[in-house]
Amino acid sequence: MRRMFRWLDERVDLAGVRRVLLDRKMPGGLTWWHTFGSATLAVFAVQVTTGVVLAMYYSPSPDHAYDSVRYLGHSVMSGAMLRGLHHWGASAMVVLVLAHMIRVFSMGAYKYPREVNWLLGVGLFFVVMGFGFTGYLLPWDQKAYWATQVGTNIAGTTPIIGATLVKLLRGGTQLGAATLARFYALHVLVLPLSLGLIVMVHLALVVRQGIAPRAATLEKDAPPRTTDAAYPEYYHDRYEKSKGAGVRFWPDIIAKDLVVAAGVILVLVLLAHFAGAGLEAPADPTDTAYVPRPEWYFLPFYQLLKLVPGSLEAAVAAGLPAVLVLVLLMLPFFDRRSMRSLAHRPIARLSLFGVLGASAFLIGASVRDEPPAVPPEVGRPLTSVERAGRALFKAQQCGSCHAVAGVSSPERNADVPDAPDLTTIGLIHSASWMHSFMEEPTRFHADSKMPSFGPPTLTHEEIEEISQYLASLRGPNGDTKQPQFVDTFPEPKKPQEKP
Amino acid sequence: MPEHQKHSTTEKSGSDSSLGRRAFLRRVSAAGAAISAVMVGVPVLRAFVSPALQRPKPDVWIKVADDIALLDVGTPVRVTFVQTVQDAWLESRALNGVWLFTEDGEKFKAYNGHCTHLGCSYIYDKVRQGFFCPCHHGQFDVKTGAVLAGPPPRPLDELPVEVRDSAVYVQYRDYRLGIPDKIEA
Repeated sequence: MRRMFRWLDERVDLAGVRRVLLDRKMPGGLTWWHTFGSATLAVFAVQVTTGVVLAMYYSPSPDHAYDSVRYLGHSVMSGAMLRGLHHWGASAMVVLVLAHMIRVFSMGAYKYPREVNWLLGVGLFFVVMGFGFTGYLLPWDQKAYWATQVGTNIAGTTPIIGATLVKLLRGGTQLGAATLARFYALHVLVLPLSLGLIVMVHLALVVRQGIAPRAATLEKDAPPRTTDAAYPEYYHDRYEKSKGAGVRFWPDIIAKDLVVAAGVILVLVLLAHFAGAGLEAPADPTDTAYVPRPEWYFLPFYQLLKLVPGSLEAAVAAGLPAVLVLVLLMLPFFDRRSMRSLAHRPIARLSLFGVLGASAFLIGASVRDEPPAVPPEVGRPLTSVERAGRALFKAQQCGSCHAVAGVSSPERNADVPDAPDLTTIGLIHSASWMHSFMEEPTRFHADSKMPSFGPPTLTHEEIEEISQYLASLRGPNGDTKQPQFVDTFPEPKKPQEKP
Repeated sequence: MPEHQKHSTTEKSGSDSSLGRRAFLRRVSAAGAAISAVMVGVPVLRAFVSPALQRPKPDVWIKVADDIALLDVGTPVRVTFVQTVQDAWLESRALNGVWLFTEDGEKFKAYNGHCTHLGCSYIYDKVRQGFFCPCHHGQFDVKTGAVLAGPPPRPLDELPVEVRDSAVYVQYRDYRLGIPDKIEA
């Protein structure tokens, strides 16, 4: 071992590498807040290792994506744990990247001489968001499909280039096979390579420039602006002094980083084990009742779009991300005052808390707005007739009076609060009874407010399709229950009831 | 001035307490790294090796011939059948073949249709009255499946066969190729 080390050392100067990387002196007063960056790196490593094996069990085609994800969960050892780790790891990446950014922002660490590293960090932030957006689609379940539908549609509202942008994102006009393949390629090839490359430069700069010292050490007697001619000299002088009280990178800092990394990974394991990654019903492009929701870190943006008036939506949808990018990129260039501590930067303090508060408020509002979870389609898949019925049910806006499984149209008609809930109607009435009822409701209940849907409004075939669909509605675990029909037909009866 | 030019010596000096602290921190680092690696590595490795540790599938009898009266006696017959195979998350259909051979019309032998050398489909050579593999000229005995000539490392793979209600059933299996031992693939 020792001989091998010496042999290599003579040739590649391992001791030099050790000096530069491990023995470098850090400025004094580094806190636990300084571990967010390395924790992000640790979670990225988790994402890469779990992602590689996930890719071995994944098929990026709409025909098989969902089945392959289910196969992983059911038939592969630790498959569910693997998905759970990757799923929660994605959230952890976003949380840690944001925490790291907030740390750097509030300690003024992006100021001279670290402007470039701030820019690289902003790039990393957007790559991580890209990971979240592309990875979300891959399981090809309802949530994945509809969230991506909305996400790409938002991009489509961009003025002028919107239509092209949607086609570019989707690989066509519609969300489908080409979209999935495209997102997969971005998720496993383009984004990891970009992230890896930027991270390498990001870290190389940290080694080269050293980590930023405490804000206070760079504020006393500082020239007022970082652009002042005297500032570089002042900075380097101060920085050298700050290292007097400091420790070495190895093992002092590394120990701290690894403790935090282990803690974060432990949390991921627990989340993966107890909460899992979840998989909804397979994507169904004909289902228009599904209320899509993006992953939590896109919620502030999602909720904001609900609040702005329609005429401004396009401006906000395209403008806000653009403004965000610009502000983050320009930050080190318009903020040139040499004050670093948040305590001495009232505007920065106000903006930081403003943005955090607004985001928290929007996430909160969005969570409160959350519609009751739609139970996944239970039991057998719908037949083609029942599917046609479901489409008609929506097209005829039956949902504006009747709720199904707690879902009704947002523009629900307030005049008919007593319209029956149809969640378990299939257990109460037979398809033939419902067929007769829809044709002429007043024949059954003289004071029924339901309009007649008999011809010419709908054809007999169409009414039958709706009836068949309604008969399939039996609520959760409906297939294990025996229907107890309470069909009563009025006296002058034309249709006869089948047993 | 770049970082690495500043301290060219690796300091080993320090009081005993600082050495003890460094040793402690080294141990903490090692523990943190090891715990992290195990927590992620175990599920990753388990999922990776999972296919190698799958339990064998239960045996399935496949009907390969409806009526033994229709099969030749003394001459092997190749029968093919479509098998529904669970291929990971895909359900696919595979066309497989076996050779059936009977001398008395009652007791049957069934051979896996792949040559034991490299898996080519062998044929029945009417002139030599033996199985012949066109790929590398392996030859097998029809009655026993024994190797008569050529490179095959072991006799043909005999499969369990059963006659029920005058239909022939076979348990189809594939074995590892190119080795002297008959080991299920």
